[in-house]
Amino acid sequence: MTNNVAILGGAALPVGKWQGSSEDETQHLEHELLAKLVMDAMEDAGLEKSDISSMIFTLPRPYTQQKYFATFMANYLNLPCDGLVMEVLGNGMTPALAFQTAVDQVTLGRAKVALALGVNFESATSSYDHMMSSMRATGDVDFHTPFGFTPISWYAMDAVRYIHEFGSSREELASVAVKNRAHAMHNPIAQYRKPMTLDDVMAQRPIVDPLGLFEVPGRADGAVCIVVADEDVARATGKSYARIRGAGFYHEGAHQINEVPNDMIAFGSARRAGEKAYAQAGMTAKDIDFAELYAPCTIVEVLVSEALDLVARGEGGRMAAAGETSVGGRIPICTSGGLQSRGHPAYVTALYSYIEVLDQFRNRAGGRQVEGAGVGMTSAELGNYNAALVHILEAVQ
Amino acid sequence: MTLPFVEMPGKRSYPPRQSDFTIKFWQGLADGVFQTTRCVKCEKLSFPPKPICPHCWSKETVWETLSGKGTLYSKTTVHAGPAVFKEELPYQVGIVDLDENIRIATRVLGDAKLDTPVEMVILKYEDGDLYAAR
Ligand SMILES: [Zn+2]
Repeated sequence: MTNNVAILGGAALPVGKWQGSSEDETQHLEHELLAKLVMDAMEDAGLEKSDISSMIFTLPRPYTQQKYFATFMANYLNLPCDGLVMEVLGNGMTPALAFQTAVDQVTLGRAKVALALGVNFESATSSYDHMMSSMRATGDVDFHTPFGFTPISWYAMDAVRYIHEFGSSREELASVAVKNRAHAMHNPIAQYRKPMTLDDVMAQRPIVDPLGLFEVPGRADGAVCIVVADEDVARATGKSYARIRGAGFYHEGAHQINEVPNDMIAFGSARRAGEKAYAQAGMTAKDIDFAELYAPCTIVEVLVSEALDLVARGEGGRMAAAGETSVGGRIPICTSGGLQSRGHPAYVTALYSYIEVLDQFRNRAGGRQVEGAGVGMTSAELGNYNAALVHILEAVQ
Repeated sequence: MTLPFVEMPGKRSYPPRQSDFTIKFWQGLADGVFQTTRCVKCEKLSFPPKPICPHCWSKETVWETLSGKGTLYSKTTVHAGPAVFKEELPYQVGIVDLDENIRIATRVLGDAKLDTPVEMVILKYEDGDLYAAR
């Protein structure tokens, strides 16, 4: 046994509006959609139902009627498991934590094959109402929330600080959204695929200054199933797979802001988590062919790509504007279209990152294919990148 | 050392809760006093005020009045907000580094620039108080 873990298969629902309302005659039901994805993902992996020993679910949104979703699904799929069957919650990091827990099941020898899966239905709830809940997740409910901080207001303050410190322009930040849309146009599961120019981005109504509508993530529904397996199992299928070469997690012990003033836009947790992942993989940023980063807003992509050493500090916006982070550029970032254009069904968003890695490694990314995609990086976070989980993956053909 | 008051229309959109411990902070605002806790053991300040010290995990802290002077670290204007804040849109929030080396997040009034001095003020609503930087 090598003790290596592989991503061997995956399937995902196109990101968009799937949630219906009680007034509709029929509605999409979360478990029906997810059950089909499980079968598609297992077919993609070349494995049988009986191979699965563990299922790690992302917690559904409170709008999902079915509670105890994981155990409900175990019954719906008639799937007894020796390994863990459970649901995970960790804000925006939820799907990455589900993935890591599934990987851990394999590493610990509790399962040869584990699923990381989930469904996020929320689009039928208005943003004003949804924010009544999300504002309590990204701040101290007694000492932040009364002032009206929203989840993305923290990122907006990152942007204001970044422009102030590095003299980057609003246009340079907005170019990240243009680049991501250009990628999403080639991604059949992306939510927003119409061509978009820098002028289009700049012309949108403001949401949180300086970020406008197209620089922040829309809201969406989605569902994903990822199959992870012991590398011996993966190799025996004869299929190509993604070998996990390095992983790093770090929580800075702060919630949105550190009460001791620090360099907020250095994204120290991403840097620490990235250093751990690089060290475990025995690699540096130069070895990364593409990165699928969790970045709800344009500025977040800039800051996390700087913290992971993919671009130079203070240069992330300019490099995006110069095409360095586009497919065909020096270091393609968010080839899926990212959270602004591929879409952001929050509690499953990061699971879409592993789908993108597999698509790139299996050379099935079409017009957004990175030439010679051999090593990919993913990141996930919560808060204002107060915690980060970074993976480095390698294609094994 | 008391802070200036600013009269605000109506009630707070999302009133904070208070505990037997934090009630001293919120009642202090009514008197124009902006205060937090200092650890007796390691002598570090913490904000929000806490009955424990997050730095050295001592359980002994004492109240201390803050100057209300600081520097604006960042800010934004919120144009799309949660349902209870709809009437207040758009509004300004920001991050302030107090002179006592504490970072707080708060409402921001006026057009202060980043890295320039700001002062804390007490916002007087019909149902109680909040605070802001200007
Ligand atoms: Zn202490």
